Amino acid sequence: MKDLVRERLSINVDVMDLLNKQIAKEAHSSSIYLAMASWCDHNALDNSAHFFYKQAEEEREHMMKIFKFINDNGGTAYSPEVKNIPHDYNSLEEIFESALEQEIAITKSIHNIVIKCRKVNDFATEHFIQWFVEEQMEEEQVIRKALDLFDLMGNNGISIKLIDERIPSIKE
Amino acid sequence: MRPEMERVLFKSKYYTAYQPEKGRCFFVEIQGRIIRMSFCQLLAFRQKVSAINLDAHFYSDLNHSGTEILVLCNREHIFILDTKEVIDLKVFIHGIFEKSSASTLVSA
Repeated sequence: MKDLVRERLSINVDVMDLLNKQIAKEAHSSSIYLAMASWCDHNALDNSAHFFYKQAEEEREHMMKIFKFINDNGGTAYSPEVKNIPHDYNSLEEIFESALEQEIAITKSIHNIVIKCRKVNDFATEHFIQWFVEEQMEEEQVIRKALDLFDLMGNNGISIKLIDERIPSIKE
Repeated sequence: MRPEMERVLFKSKYYTAYQPEKGRCFFVEIQGRIIRMSFCQLLAFRQKVSAINLDAHFYSDLNHSGTEILVLCNREHIFILDTKEVIDLKVFIHGIFEKSSASTLVSA
């Protein structure tokens, strides 16, 4: 008997479920960055706002990359619902701390996909997801650089404005 | 119409999945009805079954009726399932995919 499921699907179906969950996480992450950008915009922190707008775009690109991968390989990608986006922050430092927590959570989730791929011999998805493993390392490093600025320069008055001026350089 | 000429792909207590010798589709028997499904529809079926909260069936404030309404194939079919049927449906859908080499992805 022909293996119709395998003929139609190149990836493991449980891995596909994890990838769909990852799509939802990337979409959620993109929306959180958008809320952070809005907070920065309202507080005259233009460079930080720009940084988070770009982050929001990047997270959406990540989501689309996974979305396309699932559909290209015979699976079904599901458009995610995005709920519970926080908009209230007390400081720019708190925003970057939240951003780092967010990135760490995404990294852990990506690593869980790698573990699952290895468990079920889904080498194609493991190969695909390696790009995200590297990307997450870079994302964490960038946010850490921003937090280093708070350690060096403090978290009040003019130092916030000076940190904001240095935000474009943390991605270099 | 029962697809006599098709091979049984997987059978659980209440449901049976068939696969024809030719063609790229599946037949699923639910409550005595045979439904033809493309692979895409089978994945959508799987997604709907996975989304059913089984725990809610055991807490009357979350699921008063103890039933589940399942709408399949672009609203072409509708089924009302009780708790036992839902439990078996989860076993059934898992079994269909477990049978495929897509669950291991390497040669035996």
